Amino acid sequence: MPPSAELTEGAGVAVAAESLYLVNLLLAPGLGFVLLLALWWRARAGAPPLAAAHLAQTLSGSLWAGILLVIANGLILLLGGYQGPNVWVVVITYFTFCHSMLVLLGAYGLSKALAGQCWRFPLVGRPLPAGCGKA
Amino acid sequence: MQYQSQAVAKPYFIAAIGLFVGQILFGLILGLQYVIGDFMFPEIPFNVARMVHTNLLIVWLLFGFMGAAYYLVPEEAERELFSPGLAILMFWIFLVAGALTILGYLLVPYSGLAELTQNSVLPTMGREFLEQPTITKLGIVVVALAFLFNIGMTILKGRKTAVSLVLLIGLLGLAVMFLFSFYNPDNLAKDKYYWWWVVHLWVEGVWELILGSILAFVLIKTTGVDREVIEKWLYVIIAMTLITGIIGTGHHYYWIGAPEYWQWWGSIFSALEPIPFFMMTVFAFNMVNRRRRNHPNKAAVLWAMGTAVMAFLGAGVWGFLHTLAPINYYTHGTQITAAHGHMAFYGAYVMIVLTMISYAMPMLRGRTAAPSNRSQVVEMWSFWLMTVSIVFITLFLTGAGILQVYLQRYSGDPLPFMVVQDKIAMFYWMREVAGAVFMVGLIAYVASFFVGSRDPEATAVAGDSAAA
Repeated sequence: MPPSAELTEGAGVAVAAESLYLVNLLLAPGLGFVLLLALWWRARAGAPPLAAAHLAQTLSGSLWAGILLVIANGLILLLGGYQGPNVWVVVITYFTFCHSMLVLLGAYGLSKALAGQCWRFPLVGRPLPAGCGKA
Repeated sequence: MQYQSQAVAKPYFIAAIGLFVGQILFGLILGLQYVIGDFMFPEIPFNVARMVHTNLLIVWLLFGFMGAAYYLVPEEAERELFSPGLAILMFWIFLVAGALTILGYLLVPYSGLAELTQNSVLPTMGREFLEQPTITKLGIVVVALAFLFNIGMTILKGRKTAVSLVLLIGLLGLAVMFLFSFYNPDNLAKDKYYWWWVVHLWVEGVWELILGSILAFVLIKTTGVDREVIEKWLYVIIAMTLITGIIGTGHHYYWIGAPEYWQWWGSIFSALEPIPFFMMTVFAFNMVNRRRRNHPNKAAVLWAMGTAVMAFLGAGVWGFLHTLAPINYYTHGTQITAAHGHMAFYGAYVMIVLTMISYAMPMLRGRTAAPSNRSQVVEMWSFWLMTVSIVFITLFLTGAGILQVYLQRYSGDPLPFMVVQDKIAMFYWMREVAGAVFMVGLIAYVASFFVGSRDPEATAVAGDSAAA
């Protein structure tokens, strides 16, 4: 048997949340986040534990993505500019590594949502709601 | 082991691991030659070390694929292998031909090897990755045909499954595409054009089918998820692989003299190439999440999960990084390509072969399903040592590549190639250290076959979450 119970209620919202998180990172930055925000707004009251868990993780993950990818780059630009080659080495390596790690969290989250399981994003996630059981 | 003839996979796996050790050894020599130019010169010049490093990789992966097919197909076809004797004969032919070729690279100057092997009769030598003498290439064709006959007859006479048919299509494609290595036109643009039909359509085409089918097989066996579910994923993944990968060949045609439209076709389709790798990640984790049992071979499950993640990172993310034509204009042939090559080959193909070896070897050595716990602990250490060090190798080469592009091709006052090489030497040193850690991981991997070999077999613990 799987290690955590399979939940079915709210699976559609959970999968949609993880998909929009990935859309924001991979296809349509900004638009994906707005749609995720709209989904969270509509479903936030009375969402089943599975949906609530994935909505919370993806929203938090997206906000962290904004901080890690946009604000960190902005700071580098403000502090040092993009004139020196060493700045490019740091920025591109950092961006690629950070971005792909965030995408992997989404891929794993999506697979959990498809399997009807709650899962907390490591480091950038939110605590799981009651009713999720052992994740 | 369900079928006695599956045992023929064992020598293939042992040879694969042996050649893998050789490949990494030459990788370390090569890495040092980047910073100490005359290291081991003239005994092993840079061009020879590089040729041995890449050729050994290809040969040991082929041994791994063949071993995997010989283990997988009888179980899928639910019958013994058509001819175990032929499989063993081909093993020795391939091993001896491979060893003689490598010795030829090391002991005879390359031009002398060309003369010695009568390359002028049918010239095929001198192209990157396809440096093998023509006679060796012919040997590879004979081995591949005999192998396909053996596997094909087994499948035709037995149960046909999506896994075995996708594997067969992948192996057939591997053999057919290799035939373009015999086409060697004088026109350099045409030469490059068809050379990629071997290289690209192998690694970003038919090899992905082999990868997908082996991963599906191991996931069926280790998770107990319904075959139908896994096969549906496999269909979609291979469809996306071929849709994106075939026209994605265009990303190699940007600057070789091919028509300009390839910059559009190549950019668009290769930008989609990460999709099948992304799906593979979701697929692998989803199957493990939905598993019906906990397999006692946790190391094999770890390798399978690792394959999905690292293939996505190496082939998907690092491939996308420099695949668009306007970016590739600056990055083409720099250390960014080397970064992508290292992580993609390790993530997609090295790891899938090690996944299969990890899954099958315990049964080939007489166990029921898994090695002992001690053996698995050492194997998992090797997993993490090799995987983390390849991530660092990739990051260091990426850093070197970005600096190289900037200093050599982007800045207002571009520097010459060798001056830039001196400036990025620190990255090469760090890469060498990471390479040495990789070697430690590989030694641990080999040791895992000997540690705890007399201990009792590991058993699954209820509720154990394996590698997930």
